Parts: sequence; structure tokens; C-alpha cells
Amino acid sequence: MAKVGVYVCHCGSNIAGVVDVAAVREYAETLPDVVVSREYLFMCSDPGQELIRKDIKDGLVDRVVVAACTPRTHEPIFRKALESAGLNKYFFEMANIRDQDSWVHGDDHAGATRKAKQLVASAVAKAANLEALEDTYVDVTQAAMVVGGGVAGIFAALDLANMGHKVYLVEKEPSIGGVMAQLDKTFPTNDCSACILTPIMVEVGTHPNIEMLTYAEVEDVDGYIGNFKVKVRKKQTYVDWTKCTGCGACAEACPAKVPDSFNCGMNDRGAAYIHFPQAVPKKAVVDMKHCLNCAGHKIGQEPRISKKTGEPMLAPCEKACAADAINRSLPWNPEGELIEIEVGTVVLATGYRVMEKEHFKEYAPDSPNVLTALQMERLISATGPTGGKLLRPSDGKKPKVLDFISCVGSRDIRHHTYCSRVCCMYMIKQARLLMEKYPDLEIYMHFIDVRTPGKDFDEYYTHAAEMGIHFIKGKPGGIEMLPDDRLRVLGYDSAMGENIEVDADLVILATAIELPEDAQKLAQKFSMTMDGSGFFKELHPKLKPVDTPIEGVFLAGCCQGPKDIPDTVAQAKAAAASAAIPLAQKRVKIEPILSEVYPEKCSGCGICVPLCPYNAISLKPYADRPRAVIDMTQCKGCGVCASACPSGAIILHGYTDDQIYSQIAALTQSA
Amino acid sequence: MEKCGLYLGCNIPFKAPDIEQSLRQVFPPLGVEVVDLPGASCCPAWGTAPSFDIDTWLALSARNIALAEKQGVDVMTGCNSCFGVLSEAKHVIDASAAKKDVVNEKLATIDSAYAGSSKIYHIGHILHEKIGTEKIKKNLRYSLDGLTAAVQPGCHLLWPTKSMEVTEENPFFPTMLSDLCGALGLRAPTYSNIEACCGMGAMRSTDQEKSFILAKEKLVRMKEELNPDMIVTTCSSCYLQLDGAQKIFRDRGEIDFEIPVFYYTQLLALCMGADPAEVACISDTPRAAIIAEIQSEQRRMK
Amino acid sequence: MPTVNLTQMNTHEIIQKVVEFGGDGVVKCIQCGACASICPVSHAGFPLFCKQLIRKVQTGYEEEILDDPSTWACVACNRCVEVCPRGVNPTEVIFAFRRIQANELAISTSSLMSQSNLYEKGHAVLSGESKKLRVKVGLPENPPTSVNDEKAQKEIQTLLDNSPMADLGIF
Ligand SMILES: Cc1cc2nc3c(=O)[nH]c(=O)nc-3n(C[C@H](O)[C@H](O)[C@H](O)COP(=O)(O)OP(=O)(O)OC[C@H]3O[C@@H](n4cnc5c(N)ncnc54)[C@H](O)[C@@H]3O)c2cc1C
Ligand code: SF4
Ligand code: SF4
Repeated sequence: MAKVGVYVCHCGSNIAGVVDVAAVREYAETLPDVVVSREYLFMCSDPGQELIRKDIKDGLVDRVVVAACTPRTHEPIFRKALESAGLNKYFFEMANIRDQDSWVHGDDHAGATRKAKQLVASAVAKAANLEALEDTYVDVTQAAMVVGGGVAGIFAALDLANMGHKVYLVEKEPSIGGVMAQLDKTFPTNDCSACILTPIMVEVGTHPNIEMLTYAEVEDVDGYIGNFKVKVRKKQTYVDWTKCTGCGACAEACPAKVPDSFNCGMNDRGAAYIHFPQAVPKKAVVDMKHCLNCAGHKIGQEPRISKKTGEPMLAPCEKACAADAINRSLPWNPEGELIEIEVGTVVLATGYRVMEKEHFKEYAPDSPNVLTALQMERLISATGPTGGKLLRPSDGKKPKVLDFISCVGSRDIRHHTYCSRVCCMYMIKQARLLMEKYPDLEIYMHFIDVRTPGKDFDEYYTHAAEMGIHFIKGKPGGIEMLPDDRLRVLGYDSAMGENIEVDADLVILATAIELPEDAQKLAQKFSMTMDGSGFFKELHPKLKPVDTPIEGVFLAGCCQGPKDIPDTVAQAKAAAASAAIPLAQKRVKIEPILSEVYPEKCSGCGICVPLCPYNAISLKPYADRPRAVIDMTQCKGCGVCASACPSGAIILHGYTDDQIYSQIAALTQSA
Repeated sequence: MEKCGLYLGCNIPFKAPDIEQSLRQVFPPLGVEVVDLPGASCCPAWGTAPSFDIDTWLALSARNIALAEKQGVDVMTGCNSCFGVLSEAKHVIDASAAKKDVVNEKLATIDSAYAGSSKIYHIGHILHEKIGTEKIKKNLRYSLDGLTAAVQPGCHLLWPTKSMEVTEENPFFPTMLSDLCGALGLRAPTYSNIEACCGMGAMRSTDQEKSFILAKEKLVRMKEELNPDMIVTTCSSCYLQLDGAQKIFRDRGEIDFEIPVFYYTQLLALCMGADPAEVACISDTPRAAIIAEIQSEQRRMK
Repeated sequence: MPTVNLTQMNTHEIIQKVVEFGGDGVVKCIQCGACASICPVSHAGFPLFCKQLIRKVQTGYEEEILDDPSTWACVACNRCVEVCPRGVNPTEVIFAFRRIQANELAISTSSLMSQSNLYEKGHAVLSGESKKLRVKVGLPENPPTSVNDEKAQKEIQTLLDNSPMADLGIF
């Protein structure tokens, strides 16, 4: 006979404010197998846990039911209490009478109390049927992977590498750097983005523990914490990187014209190109989708021989390359190379994109003089399309009046309801930088409201107002295109309570930060969940801000939500520290809440094999026929197989048929 | 031949019947048979039932739409306001089965019923989407080559896109009416406040002088930016405002220019060879000279 | 304007009313000003355009603004609906307030005329000249609408008689 102890928690007034805790405790005493029933203000506090420990040590109870909050956060705490009192920690069951009861039935105290009793009865019934289980351990592969080489990925990789761990840094572009590499200067200190980022990129490039895999993408993920197997596709560069010196001669020679994504499409690059001047690694690639196959020299074919000279006819890129890194006659595999990497933990740092202006019909997206703020960053950057000169795209003339519009696509139910968090500050930054460089500019900025909550941010903003930048509270509802390529911004000044207009040479839209399309695919590969705003969801917004539902996978930077560089770097360092824990522990625990096949009962029908979402089941010969076997390290304990097996040969430990049926019986009979 | 129910509204039959004539004359040669909707009432205008009680508005609108449903035709309106009221009413009713029941309960008292089977079009949509500029070009007898128009599509033809059957690609920078003008050989460039309101309708009846602020702004920018030979609109209210208010501004000495105003089908009818005495003979701002120019011998097409 | 003591305003009642009359978006407005910037009513200089009306309602104004004719200047262009980032449908809020005004008969006499025209002939707008003009352009004196159709007029009268509008004694 099991000796079940029931402990009902008040959770301050969270539970006790709605549920009659004393009544629940008294009711529990009447249940079969229950030997003691207690209540306490906070069961998770040390004195609360001590109640349990004492009852176990006194030999009073050997099964424990805590009726309190959610097992998601609190089950581990109570299991530990059991363990420290010398009881198998899986002799524990929780009844969630807070999240699933008092919080949702706040207006029905009697009903909530009745439900609490039922939940307790159900937990007690299961507790009486619990079995002792043991944790197992597996070794951790001593390496980490960071996906995404923006400032978040860069810092996560560096910290992990500096702790002595091997790091694979996977970046889909030819160079690391991300959006920060595109920025001119950075708030709140106005230091030049390239000046502070480039040395760190170089450090990554030369770090003995970091293996950079740029121009590469994750194709498939298998495994679990401690032992991930990641397939990475290294895209074909058509340039021999062991020879390429990054001189850029091929890029200069290439006649193809492709919108330069690094400069937000404001100028063209060649099909042969180097990502940007400070690229790390500084290597050229040939973007075959846009290659013109000059001189008729297709990849993998011998060049044609000139009738005039008798010489082979080479493409300009080949001719230009002094290092002999481009040889188009070689049989380059268009698929690149697929490599498999084993790592213990992963940090996802795949960042964000800004919305394009085409979405905002009321803001004259067809005018070349309407820019996104990221385009503006490039326009004022020394490495940008104009070499850092502020010129109006329509005619290359110097603009006199600039107009900034905030919350474009953010805080807008037509696009994204969230605040993109960085726009207010970067708009002020751009305005300040422009004002310092061109004091004769008139700059107007429209805000719904200015949000500057970071360290030194509000001072940064008020200084801008003192510089003579015009701040207007009110969102413009439209833009008219004037005949001279200027733009009339239709605004409203809430402070004055009057309609206003600005005739601007350039309009800058602070477009929202969002996840790029391919993020969804990556999320599927890593089984990430998305939050309501469409970003990767952390496990708990306060307590587990860099963890994910998949153990061993962590988040850093804007892929988790919009944030500025200070917050990105802080989060990257947190993710690196968290990702290092399993590596330092060298082994990870596997909880025994897993499915197991009883081979004697298995008919070998194989129904379960394709059903397992984690590919954990295979048929292996056993006695006279093949029978199902579950790989403990792959199984996540979802139970699909156990419920599908026609022979009842699969058992999900912790959720056995006996346990579940007794719970159902208790639920339907009780209170 | 495709049939379409011509919903007249109030302004066109009572104040600008020459527009009605033009509608009746241009569509048959372009392959659309005009079907009358006998007994149709006011849409009802925004300032009437819609400003008092939602269900009464919906019932009156639904009664009008039901007239087309009974004949198995879609509705086309020449008046932007009617288009807006009827589209919005249809949008509200079709979005909720409960609303539809309420409306049909009311209609049952007058032996009518609303099914939702007829679509609501503006005549501009029929011309642009169903007939198309190519077919229009084939039916012309006079070309407007070399002339310039300032177009005024009118608010209700642009917004709200959520309740309209046909929408502009970008309603803030509309192009349909310019396309239609282009079919006549007319140059109709965009201008800065092409999308703006002319101030007619409720605003003019509430405060004429305030409404004139918008009308004048519109006319002045048309003049300054395009110096057009004419103004072309697909909204009967805009037509009345830009034509009528313009004369008042001139009489008061507030402007010194004169731009003749046409409803698009008036111009189309003239280009198709119609008699101006039937299709374009009622206006405050004189049109005789430009009409003579339009139907002049050298503009006749071979 | 004297200082408004917010604690003495009854915001819930008027908001409730506006919601009932079809302006349920009123509570979603964040006063960003986008609607105001493009509103013809605001451009023409009326004091109580979309954003302003919404704010007054959110603050609890009702009687203070009941006689303001600005709402009646709204041309229902719906441009505000198209640009509002919060799904407020400002036009609907204006019309909801109009309905409140109309039910208190806080409307102009010219507007009353349109209502009785609608009731009598099925047309809000009529013109003494119309017959002459129609004949001039070669059309029959009367268009094929309710204007000369007694059965249609009866139908419209039935619908209006069975509506809350009938209780106002405006027909
Ligand atoms: C106009 C503008 C101005 C700004 N100015 C400032 C400023 O002055 N100060 C400030 O603090 N912040 C500023 N920010 C914010 C700043 O850009 C971000 O905080 C920062 O870039 C976030 O870095 P990240 O690494 O998270 O993302 P990203 O910079 O986006 O980096 C993500 C990286 O991951 C790569 N990647 C994406 N998907 C994959 C994939 N599937 N596989 C492999 N690699 C992938 C990308 O190519 C990219 O290199 C500004 C933002 C904008 C839009
Ligand atoms: S062959 Fe070389 S030079 Fe020619 S387009 Fe391709 S990359 Fe450029
Ligand atoms: S646009 Fe919408 S949210 Fe902004 S003030 Fe107008 S109604 Fe309010």
C-alpha cells in the first residue's frame, strides 16, 4: 500500500484568494491511500519543502502530491526535495490548482474549490500507481554551433571559444557582420560601427577555436542536447578560397549588374563580388544566378579558343584574378558541399530584416526619395553607394529638408503590433549625425511618441532637440509627390492640435524589424516555436530568457525579438554562458519519462515507426522476428507510439495506462 | 451582350441628366447592355439613414441591391457616394449572417429579399476592368491627342479598400482614371493632391465656405502643376463641386482661370461622336469651346 | 476652455453609447494623429474631426459637443479607415456619434429636409429644375426611380415607418 502525502499550497493569495485551501486539504484526507494532508503558504519555500522532507524521513509518506502551481517551473524543485530525503524523485505528482484553476476561475470560488478537489484526487490516484524510475546520463560532444554571424552570433561564438570550446559559426552570407556592419555610427555613443565591429570580426576570423562556415546554411538537425548532428550546406562560391586574396579585381572586372543587398539595393554589384570592404573572411564569390557567362565560358567547360589569337577566351573574372582563384573550367558542384557537424549545444542568432517600403502604400513607395532607415544608414556610410555623401537619389542633388517617420509597420495592426524598440533611437541618431555634418539641413521627425528608455538614451534625445531638430508628436497619414520630386508629408501636430505639412527632399521611413522569411524554415529544423509577434520564443520571458523548449538550443539577438546592440551583446553573452553549461558538465541527464517497447508483446507490425516525430523507433531482429526498438537518446517522451501500438507493447514511463486510467477514474468519481 | 443594372442615385438624374444620357449612350456600343432598376431610391445618402440607424440604412440599401438581384444583374453606379454607401452596406451585411437576417426581416414587410448575389461596381470599374481601354479605343471617332486633363477619381472610389469589389493597386496614387483618359489619347499625368477630397457632399451642406477651402486647393494645384485643358472625373459630386464652385471662385475674383469639367462618360460619349446637346450641355463653367475642339474635323479619326 | 476635472467626467456611459451605435473602435485609438493628418474635415478647419472627436469621447464628453456640426461635415471618405494603424474605423466612430446626435435631434434644418425628401419621394436630393433639364437632354421627365413610383415610395415609407427614425417625428 502506497502512503501518499498531499501538500496544498496557498501560493500567497494566488490560490488561496479563490480556492478554499482548507477544504481541499480536508477533502484530500478522505482519499484512499492518503496518510497525511497539509497546507502551507508557499510550498516551494524552504520551510514548505521541509514539510515534505520531514514526512518522508519520518517514514510517514512514500508518495508525494503537491497541489500548487505549474510543474513547468516547480516540478524540479519538489523532485529535488524528495531526492534529498532519500525517496525516488519520480514518486512525485503535481496538481496544478493555480494556472489551471484559481487563475482562470477567479469569479467562481465554489467551482474552483470543487475543481481543485478533483485535480488533487486525480493526482493522488496517479501517485499511488507511480513506479520508481532512474535518470541516465550521456556524454556531451565538446563543441558548440552558433548559427548567424551578426553581432549576436559573433559575441556568442567568441565567448564560447574563449572558454576553450570549439565553435562552428554558420553564416549564410559570404561574410559575418550582419546588420551592424551596414550601420554608419551607433547610438548612444555615436561610435563608428565599422571601427568597433571590424576588429572583433577579425578576432573571430583568427580565433583558433572558431571554425567559420560562411556562405553556408543549416540543412538538417538531428539529435538532442549534448549530441546534435547538424548538416550544413556550404554553398558553392566558384572561387577557390584557399587562393583568393580578397583583392576584389574580379568584382571590378565583372560586367553583371545585381542590386547590392549590402547597400539595400541602392547601387549594383557584379555577379562576382566581395560582400563589403571589411568582410571577414574577405573572399570573393560568384553569384551564379546572375552570372552572364562572359566569353561564353560556362562552368565546367573548357574555354573557347579565339579564332583570331588562338588563345583560350576567358571571362573577365578569371582574367582579372592574379591569384588564379577563379577557374571556370573546373567541375564546380552547383550544390556546394554538405558536411555533418556534431555539437553539444547550439546558439541561434539569425537576426532580423527591416520591412521594405513597398508595404506602405500611403507613403509614396514609388518615389526614389522615400528611403527606409537602413537605406539611410548606407547613404551616410563612407562605404555606401555615394561614398558617404548625402545625395537625393532622384537627381543626385544635395537635399535641404529631411523628414523622418517613425512606427512604420510597428505598432500597427495591419503589419506588426509590437514596438520595434530601436527605431526612435536610430532615427534620432541619424538626424544628429546629419545635423552635425550638414548644419544647414532642416530635419523634421514625426513620432507617435518618443521611446528612449535605455541608459543615456533620453539625454541623447533631448540633446537632439536642443540642436534644432524638429520633433513632432503625431503620425503622418500620407505623402504627396510634388512636381519637383519633393515629397509633401501630411502630418498632424498633437501638441498644437493642428494639421501640418513638410515639403521634404528626402523622407526616411523607420520600417519595422521582423524575421526574414527563411527563419520559419530554420525554426522547423530546430523545432523552435514562434511567439505572438513571430519571433523565436524563449522558454520563459523572465527566468529562461535565452533558453528554448529544445534543451541545448539557445537564442541570442534580434531573432528572439527586436533589440539594440547593447541588449543584443548582453543576450549573446548570456546565451554563450548557458550553452557552455552542458559542455562544462561534460554529460547530460536523460529523464526517464520515455517510451519503451516490451519486445515479448511486440508483433513487429511497424505502425509506430513512421509515427514517431523524432525518428527514434526502428525495427531490429529479436528472437524470431523484427521488433520495434526505441532509441532512448532520441525519444522525447511524446507518447504517440504508446497510444498507437495495437499490441499495447509500448509503455510511456510516467504515463502508464494504469496511471492514466486511475487518474480518469478519480476525476470522474470525485467531488 | 453583358447586362449591368444602372443605379442612378439622385445627383445624376436630377441635377446632371446629361451624365445619365452619356451613360446610356456609351455602354451598348462597348458591349454592356444598360438595365434600369425601376423603383430604385436614394442609396441612402450618408447624411440620411446611415446617420440615424444602421439597420434602416442597410435595409434601404439592400432593397436597392435586391432590385438588381431580381433581374440577375450586377449594379453599376455613376455616383461615388452611392458606390460607397452600397458597397459598405453589402460588405456589412455579407459579413454577418445575423445582419442578413435582420435585413431580410425588414425586407419581408415589403415583399423583397436580399441574397447577396449582385456585385457593386462603379462605372469606372466596368470601363477599366470589364470593357478595357483597348475596346474603348476601337470605338472612338475623335482623338484627344495633345490635350491634357487633370483627373479627379473621388474619395469613395479609393477607400475603404476592404469593402470594394475592385480597388486601385495603390489607392493613394490612383491610376485607373488616368488610364481611361489615356484611352482617349488624353494626357492625364498625376499631380500632388490627386487623391484629395473636393469638399462636396456633407461638408458643403454643413459649411460651404470651409468646403470651398478644399475645392479651391484642388483647382489651384491642378492649374499650377498641370495647366490642364480640362478636368475629368468619375464622381458626380466632384463634378458638381469642381464645375460649380469654380464659377463662384471666378465670380468672386478668387481665381482667374477657367477649366472645363467633364464627367468621364461625357467625354467618352463626345469622342464616340455623341451629340453634345444630349451628353454635355449642363455646366456652370463653359465647355462649348473645348467641345468644339474635341469634335473638330482635324481630330476625327480615320 | 476652463480646466476639465477628469474625475468628474463619466467616460463609461458615452463610450458605451458610441460602441452601441457602431463605433466600437473608439477604445482602440492611441491618438497617433494619422487620421487627422489626412482628414478633409480637419483640413477644412472644423474643430471636431476624427481624432479630436474620439479623444473627447474617450474623455467623457457628450453634451458639451452634442451640438457641434463638425461630425456632419464628414464626407465618409474613409481615408482615415485606410490609414489608421489600430483598426479604429474612425468613420464609424463619427457616424456613431452622428447617430447619437440625430437621436437627440441635434441636426441642422437642411438635414431634416433631406430626411423628409427621402420619406416622400425616396430621394434625399431633389431639384425643381430636374424635369426641364431632363427633357432638354432628351430623357423622359422622370427617371425610372422611386420619384414617380408610388409602389416604391410606399415600400420606402414602410421601411422608414418601422425604423427608430420614425420615433423622431421628422417625416
Ligand atoms: C536602421 C537601423 C539602425 C540601427 N542603429 C543602431 C544603433 O545605432 N545602435 C544600436 O545599438 N542598434 C542599432 N540598430 C539595431 C541593430 O542593428 C541590431 O541590434 C543588431 O544588428 C542585432 O544583431 P543580430 O546579430 O541579432 O542580428 P543581425 O545583425 O541581423 O545578424 C544576423 C546574422 O545572421 C545571418 N543569418 C540569418 N539567417 C541565417 C540562417 N538561416 N543561417 C545562417 N545565417 C543566417 C544573417 O545573414 C546575419 O549575418 C539599428 C537597426 C536599424 C534597422
Ligand atoms: S563570367 Fe565572371 S565577369 Fe562575367 S559575369 Fe560572370 S562573374 Fe562576372
Ligand atoms: S489613426 Fe486611428 S489610432 Fe490614430 S488617432 Fe486616428 S483613430 Fe486614433
